[in-house]
Order: sequence, then structure tokens, then C-alpha cells
Amino acid sequence: MTTAFLELARISKAYPGVLANDKVSITLLAGSIHGLLGENGCGKSTLIKTLSGVQQPDSGDILLNGTPIRIPDPQAARRLGIATVFQEFSIVPTLSVGENIFLGALPRGRYGVVDWRKVHADAAAVLAEMDVDIPTEALTGTLSVGEQQLVEIAKAVAMDARMIILDEPTAALGEDEIERLHTLLRGMRSRGTAILYVSHRLDEVERIVDEVTILRNGRVVRASGEMKIAIPDIVNAMVGEDVGEHYPKERNATDEVVLEARGLSTRAGVRDVSLALHRGEVLGLGGVLGSGRTEIARALFGTDALTGGDIVLDGKHVRFRNESDAIRAGLALVPENRKVDGLFFNFTASGNITAASLATLVRRGVLDLAAEDTATRTLMRDLEISAEAEDKTVNFLSGGNQQKIVIARWLFSDARVLILDEPTQGIDIGAKIAVYTLINRLTRAGKSVILISSDHDELLAMSDRIAVMRHGTIARIVDAASLTRNDLVRASASTADPVRPRPQEATV
Amino acid sequence: MKRMFDAQLIGPFAAMIIAAAVVALTTDSFLNPGNLSNLSLQVSIVALIAIGATVVIFAAGIDLSAGSMVALLTMILAQMLKFMGIPLVLAVPLILLTGCLLGLFIGLITAYGRIPSFIATLAALIAFRGLALTFNNGSPVFSLDPALETIFYGSLLGIPLPFFYLVFFYGLAAFGMNYTKLGREIYAVGGNPAAAVLTGIDVKRVQAITFAIAGFMTAVGAILMAARLNSGSPNYGQTLELQAIAAAVVGGASLAGGRGNILATLMGAMTIVIVQNGLNLNAAPSSVQNIVLGTIILCAVGLDMWRVEISAFTRRIVGRRPPPGKAG
Repeated sequence: MTTAFLELARISKAYPGVLANDKVSITLLAGSIHGLLGENGCGKSTLIKTLSGVQQPDSGDILLNGTPIRIPDPQAARRLGIATVFQEFSIVPTLSVGENIFLGALPRGRYGVVDWRKVHADAAAVLAEMDVDIPTEALTGTLSVGEQQLVEIAKAVAMDARMIILDEPTAALGEDEIERLHTLLRGMRSRGTAILYVSHRLDEVERIVDEVTILRNGRVVRASGEMKIAIPDIVNAMVGEDVGEHYPKERNATDEVVLEARGLSTRAGVRDVSLALHRGEVLGLGGVLGSGRTEIARALFGTDALTGGDIVLDGKHVRFRNESDAIRAGLALVPENRKVDGLFFNFTASGNITAASLATLVRRGVLDLAAEDTATRTLMRDLEISAEAEDKTVNFLSGGNQQKIVIARWLFSDARVLILDEPTQGIDIGAKIAVYTLINRLTRAGKSVILISSDHDELLAMSDRIAVMRHGTIARIVDAASLTRNDLVRASASTADPVRPRPQEATV
Repeated sequence: MKRMFDAQLIGPFAAMIIAAAVVALTTDSFLNPGNLSNLSLQVSIVALIAIGATVVIFAAGIDLSAGSMVALLTMILAQMLKFMGIPLVLAVPLILLTGCLLGLFIGLITAYGRIPSFIATLAALIAFRGLALTFNNGSPVFSLDPALETIFYGSLLGIPLPFFYLVFFYGLAAFGMNYTKLGREIYAVGGNPAAAVLTGIDVKRVQAITFAIAGFMTAVGAILMAARLNSGSPNYGQTLELQAIAAAVVGGASLAGGRGNILATLMGAMTIVIVQNGLNLNAAPSSVQNIVLGTIILCAVGLDMWRVEISAFTRRIVGRRPPPGKAG
């Protein structure tokens, strides 16, 4: 169980201006799940790229069973039995699930023709082993993000890897899928697979990881071997200082109802959803992936047409034909995938921040660029957005800075109801806390927030009330303070066991 | 934020100066006032149409219809002046309006009909040429109106009029792109249409407008084309759309949309025309001219795409060591 599969010895890698890995040594044991932790920019991605053959280290050795080796390219990594599941998907959306799983190694029959029956049979076997119910003929692009992530992992399972590297594998997964993945990983571990597990979600790190290595500024700051470290120590080691309160929740909710949904239904699967959002409140939407959280956001925001029910904003009935209508009425959506749906990579911070409120900058038909600069610069200083963003386009920024910019867009506008869909996904602890502070700032200013999050701890800590979603409808709306993590997991995961809040039920 | 004059102009400006320097050194007549004024006449039509082509490209579209639309509009202008007796002062604005409406029509088809602009304008490229042939039994119409010629050959203070058109329209376009809401929205739509929808920008409307602008600028080009030869012909404007796109690309506009500076397109057009002029002065055959033009386009895009590698290469030559610090 404890033989070293792969050893990294004093690996260094420099990029122009940056020493990304500084003499990093890690031993990856067969049959062990090794957590690799650290803030964004600590050098995790660099290390993964080195291990998967995407790039070469400047110095240091990689030892396989004690023998120094080179991994010149990704194909070589695959030949050594090293599979990597990157954070950015490498699946082809226009191909079927089966094709994606065996892409690059499609089984051939006679005459070199692809044996489709074998492709789909083998793919079905892999998915069955993973306990995943996805048809192998389905076009991968039509699957949900979580299902695509599972297909991505299935590729690694299919090649029967001796070592598997997972870079934020659960970022897009719901609770039940995370549990399924963990079961799968435990199975692989017992069969002697070495697993390198990168995650920002410390709660699951605690659940699954056997040993931990923590990187900061390219160096190993804690190498635990087989020892476990307590989560607060992990956080402090990652950040390099005592971070204090992880969830700085402020309660700013009032009794005034801002937005009310009555019996909303859409073709996308929202069924008879009613909720009331108060001024200054954070209403959390909890539930498993596919329970309809994002669909509710789309229904409220005018993306999906309503087939039933209505929306009341400030006491007036409203009907949104599209997103523009909703934005004009004072709604805003910070989408789950900031890279695909949120940011303008051709703009600097200011262009991104003002994009939703250009009309307010127009003076006699001309954009007041000086006013734009002043306003965005103040906002950037306030939110501690890297000053680099002033004259560089936003693709050069860290995920945390990018997310702050997307949210700042709505701080700059006069939006009064913000829907935040997974606002802290894939950003590091420091940036997460900054986003929480930003949520406080929004509610303090009298704005209301609908928070969608798969991170249960975050949802419980940052919401005033939580609506538990199941099958496209709201099972219960309860006071967040009266709910424990286990209640929430149980309530959203099982259909048979409805949520029972302990002290009292909050008013809907 | 993007301003009228920014770093994006340096490359195209340098390319233009280098091209001019090479041509000036290899020929005797390049710097003659006569040749220079001829140059501004030569560049004017392509450069004006390229404004529209570039605006469409900024919004991540492409317009292939300009060349055929030029032919169609010169035939309609000929019809108006020669056979319908419409006076020039009325015919010119009518042509501008027609161009604008044709462009808008294409824009509506691609934006609201969800037909990719490459396909929609390819269809228009073919159909407009055919439509041009339906006028005057497909024959060119000559000697339209002596006053028409002044639009192209006239001059003010000894400077050819097309020079003023260039200054006016490029000034207007640069102002519009950098200092108006519409300009910013065009960049936003080209940069990320999904994000533009979620910020409340009417993406389809913006896309349609870019094609209306392109149609208008094509009409400006068509009027100059008819004025230059005092005629209308269904054969005018062949490959003009490609030259306009080439000018935009040599000027650094990204075909993926959202990036580029409109003034760089003028420099791109100038670079291309200067090189053509140099080859003409050196009596190079047209086959060589086309090969050179193709190579310029490749190099311009290549220099842009390989920017990172080139700067890394120069750094290695210079041998600067990276300081330690935070990494990605």
C-alpha cells in the first residue's frame, strides 16, 4: 500500500518574471489520495503540467519506481499510466459520450474501421463501474456541466491509470455526485492507484484525502506525509497568515419584500416555485445539481419564458421578455461560469465594470471616459482589485480578481436584486472571503441577493434564509441559522426524507 | 480603456512607414507629389469600405458582400442619373440610403435569422452581382454626369477631395468606436456575446447595426467608384470585399471580434496600396503583386498571433533572468 509510485525531487520551473515551482518535492504513493492545496498562483497548475507532460521542469528529477524519467509530452504521460483530469474540460461537445471516453484510442475492428459496438459497450461498462447513469450515445455537449465533468473523469478511468491527477474535479459537481466520485476514488485507491487531488473545497479535502502537501509562492510550506492537518491550520498555511473569520456574515435583511415569485413554472423544469426576497436579504438556494437552482435563476431573469405564475417587483407585476428587460427592471445575474458568460476578455477592468451601465455614462451622446475612469478606479481600490487590471485586459487576472470585477459590474449599476450563481467556484480562500465581504456590502446598501452555491458551509454561513430545491421546486424555505450542514445535505439529497428544521420554520 | 490613439497603432504604423521607406528607396518617383496624390486616390475606395468591414469584424461578424454591392449600387446610380433623370444631389443620398438599407437587410438576416454572417454575406455576394446584371441588360453605363467626376477628381486647396473623405469618415468612425455607447457595445458583442446578453446589451440589434454601417460605407465607396470612371458597371468591385478585410487584418483587427483599432485599418489599407504602388513603379507583373499581397496578409496575422513567442525569443536572446515571485 505504501510503495512510492512517483517521486518529484526538487522540481523548479520559472516563467518570465515568476518562479512558479521552487524546488518542490512530493512523493506520490500507490494506493493513497494525496491532496495538493494552495491559493491560486501558488504553483499547483505548474506542477500538474509538469506531471502530465504539458511542459518540462527547468531542473529537478521525476523518479518512477526509483528510476529517473522524463515526461516529454502528454502521450508519454499516458503511456506511463498517468491520467490527468484538467479543470478546463478537454471533451469534444459535438461527439457522443462513448467517443469522448475513448477518444484517441478508439477500438478498431477488421479493416481498421472503428468498432462502434465495442466503444459503446466499453463506455457503458466504465460508466456503470462509476455508478453514473449517462447514455453513451448522448452528445456530450447536451449534458449538464456536472455530467460533462463525470465524462471527463470516465476518460481517466477507462485508460486504467496507475496514477490519476484531478484538478478541482468537484468544482461543477453537486453533493451526490461528489459522494459518487469519492466512492469511485476510494475504490481506485484500494486497487493501488496513486491519486493527486487538487481542490479549493477544504470540507471535501478533509473527507477524502490521506495526506496533504501545501504550496505557497511556488514552495512547499507544509508536507504532512501521512499525517492529517486541521483545516484552520491548512488555511493559515495556504494564505501565510491568520485569516480570521472565514465567513464574515452580516445580517442586513429587512421586512420589506422586494421580489416575489408566485407559482413560477418553465419548460426548463421549474415547477410551481414561490418565494419572497426581502430588502437586504441573502436568500440561499440549496440542492443537488439538476434540482433546478440555475433554472430558477433563468426563470427570474427572463432567459426562459414562464409557462405559469408571475413575478412581482416592488409591488408591481412585471413580465420579462428577455434579459435586457430584467436588467432594466433592476435585476442582475452573475453567471456560474464567469469565463464563458461573464467577462469581456477584450476589455480592461473599467470596460467590464461599466458594461451594464453605459447609458449612465453618456453625456450629450458621448461616453464620459473620465468619469468612467474615476468611478471604476475608486471601486477597484475599494474592492482591492489588482491595479494591474487598470491597463491590462482581464484575461491576465486571477480568478478571484475576475470574479470581483464581474460582481463590481452590478455594484456600479443600480441593480437591486442580484442572483449570484456559484460566485466562489474555483477561486482561492482569500478571494472567497473578499466575495463574502462584497455580498455584505451589497446587502448593506439595501440590495438583495439570491445565492446559489454547492458549497454547503458557504450557503449556510452566508444566507439569511435557505430555499431547499428538489426536482425543480422549493421543498422548504427555512431560516439558515436553524439548519445544520447535515440537515441540508440530507434535505437536498434524498427525496424520501423531507427537511425538518429544528427550532422553527421561517416564514415563506 | 480603448482610446483613439493607443499601442495597437504602433505595429500597423511601423509597417506602413517601413513599406513607404522601402518603396521610396527602390523607386525614383514614389515621393513625387503627383504619385502621392495618386496614392490617396487609389487608397480611398478600399479604405472607406474597410471602415464598414472593420466595424463588422469588431462585432465578430464578417462582410463578404461589399464588392458585389458596389457593382449593384453603381448600376442603380447609373439608372437614376441616365435613365430616370434624377439629379445628382438627390441620387447621391438615395444611393447612401439604399446601401444602408441593403446592409441592414443582411444584418437582420444574420442577427435575427441566426444565419452566420459568412453565409449570409456570401449569398449576398453572389446575389448582388446577379442583381447588378439585371440593369441595362447587364451592360455598363458610361458618361453618367460630368459633375459626378468632381466627387472623385475634385480638390480643395490643392488637396484631392478623397483625402477629406478619408479624414472625415475615419475621424467619425474612430470617435464612434471610442467615445459612444454604440462603439463600446460593438466591442462588447465581439468580445463575448453571451456576457453581452447578460449585461443587458441588445446583441442582435448591435450586430444588425454594424451591417447597416457597412452597407453605408460600401455605398460611399460605390459613389466614388462610379465617379472615378463616370460610369456604372456590373463588373465593378471584384474582390473589393477581400481587400477591405485584408486592410482590417493587416491593421490588426482580430477576426474573432472585440479587438482592434479602426485607425489601424487605414494604415493597413495604406500599407497594402503602398506596396502595390511600389510594385507598379518597379513594373512588377500583376501575378507578383498578388503573391506579395497574400504574403503581407500572412505576415501581418502571423506577427500578431506569434507575439508571445517572438517576445519570449527576444528575451532569450537578450538573456534576462526572471526574478522570483508569485506564479500561476
